Amino acid sequence: MGVEAFLLGLSNGAICLAYCAPVLVPCLMGGVGASGLKSDSLVVLRFLAGRMLGYVAFGVIAWVLGHSLTRMAGLQEPVVGCCFLILSIFLALYALTGREHTCAHSRVTALALRMGASPRLLPGLAGLASGLNFCPPFLIALLAASRPGTLQGSVFFFLAFFVGTSLFFIPVPFVGMLRRFPSVRIVGKMAAGIMGLYYAYTGLTMLIGGLRTL
Amino acid sequence: MKRTLRSFLLSLPMLLLTALMLTGGSIPREPSRLAALILTYLFFNTFFFLMLHKGRTDRYRAVLFVTYSVAFVIAFVSHLVEARGSMALTEANMIEGETPFCHVVIPMTLIPAALTKTIIFPGSITGTHASIAGMFVLWIGASLALGRGFCGWACFFGGLEDGFSRLLKKPLIKGIRPSWSYLPYAVLLAVVLIAAISLSPTYCMWLCPFKTVTEYVQVTSVKIAIQTAIFLSLFLGLVIVLPILTRRRTQCSFLCPFGAFQSFTNKVNAFDIRIDPDRCVKCGLCTKSCPTFSIDEASIKKGTTRLSCMKCGKCVDTCPKGAIAYHVKGTQLSRGILPRMLFLYPAFLFMSIMAGRQIQDAIVRIIRLVTTGSMI
Repeated sequence: MGVEAFLLGLSNGAICLAYCAPVLVPCLMGGVGASGLKSDSLVVLRFLAGRMLGYVAFGVIAWVLGHSLTRMAGLQEPVVGCCFLILSIFLALYALTGREHTCAHSRVTALALRMGASPRLLPGLAGLASGLNFCPPFLIALLAASRPGTLQGSVFFFLAFFVGTSLFFIPVPFVGMLRRFPSVRIVGKMAAGIMGLYYAYTGLTMLIGGLRTL
Repeated sequence: MKRTLRSFLLSLPMLLLTALMLTGGSIPREPSRLAALILTYLFFNTFFFLMLHKGRTDRYRAVLFVTYSVAFVIAFVSHLVEARGSMALTEANMIEGETPFCHVVIPMTLIPAALTKTIIFPGSITGTHASIAGMFVLWIGASLALGRGFCGWACFFGGLEDGFSRLLKKPLIKGIRPSWSYLPYAVLLAVVLIAAISLSPTYCMWLCPFKTVTEYVQVTSVKIAIQTAIFLSLFLGLVIVLPILTRRRTQCSFLCPFGAFQSFTNKVNAFDIRIDPDRCVKCGLCTKSCPTFSIDEASIKKGTTRLSCMKCGKCVDTCPKGAIAYHVKGTQLSRGILPRMLFLYPAFLFMSIMAGRQIQDAIVRIIRLVTTGSMI
């Protein structure tokens, strides 16, 4: 079963990367501090750790809900909608960190400055929010994970699937090397803001649409 | 007299080339088409001659470029109404692959094409008006010949804001933060990544201001109504109001992802604009006049423009000391006529190829409007 999940992850890794890149690439490009393969690898690892937590959470949820995919399917839209909204907030804050005057409102500026001072949390939280996502490979994994019938089996399946997909993230830290150009940092921050708007819109429409059908 | 003769001789090859390009090998028999052909031919060659004779580039380029964009809108919209009955694009049109492909979509198609071997656009690969393959070929040719010069010489949208940016003599809004000029790169990154996830041309669906003057999806839902409102707002803001107030091409400078993408082709293109530090008196006129914020203090120090330069020649015309000039990479900086001529020939020819048919078509439709009361 582990091998099957790993291979499933391997075969879908490129799509997983495509789904995570909109969050990860702007974060690496616009990152705070000096660029370096080691520090950028840590950012990717934090992101992946957050994503893994998201996967494990789904493994547990799948088991708790009695392996009923139909019940999961009903919750799909509002759950993912909420995750996207949270993700959009992270991205918006990320876009605003590292600037002297983030917002006219002092609390927003204070929050952004605090996050700018401890940016380590952001990749992990963004990874968690993007991990809780019904992207096509994830749905395949969810279908397969519902078969074992035990909590450990379900979680283990998702972990093996996660390892398989994560291999595709190995080249990603190299994107951070572009950050030594100051203009790339500005572009990364701006792109994070635009991605935040995209996820906010997608999240809102999914949430509203999902709540209507519940 | 000698100077006039020299300018005429230098423009002689262009007279022949444009004759070939505009006729396509055959002279039309219909009087209105023949009149349109003659007018277009004279229009182009008069301005090319003036460019060479007066030694000014942007002044004459701008007239042609603005005419091209206005003619494009007239011809395109008339064509759509003739073919479909309205500017609106229905779902049936999209399913049948009848959407004309525009160069702005190109960067969004690349990752999905690599991942899924499909082009994420409801158009036709070959054989129709504005086919996908045709536009790709044009783009590759333009990138090799002009780099981002495409935006200053061949883009059929750019002339609209170029025209509006010339309405006021002095800008009413000054001191725009230079960091905003990075926004198109961020838009490019975002739309390319989103297109890779959603397998749809995000920019066309949400952000393209030029939907307002070309074609738009028929409004059948709240979502499409929101999208249409965004197109209209962006068109009014970035193509009309801000260019008038700033005297800059604000859509190209702050939004267009294709422009950002095309900037990278400046690296592989043979031509650039150079600033001679020995002649430069730091008057700042080039910085103020550049329509895309492509000259700043840092670039002047380096003796060149930023990556976003679209080689329109405005700075070359503006510089009172003649310190700015067209340049062929790998050669010595010279004030001679050769580098300028080497750039002007492909750039002007490209413009005449892209604009020639549109201007002729627009003239025919205007003649039809005057004589019959309808453009269709």
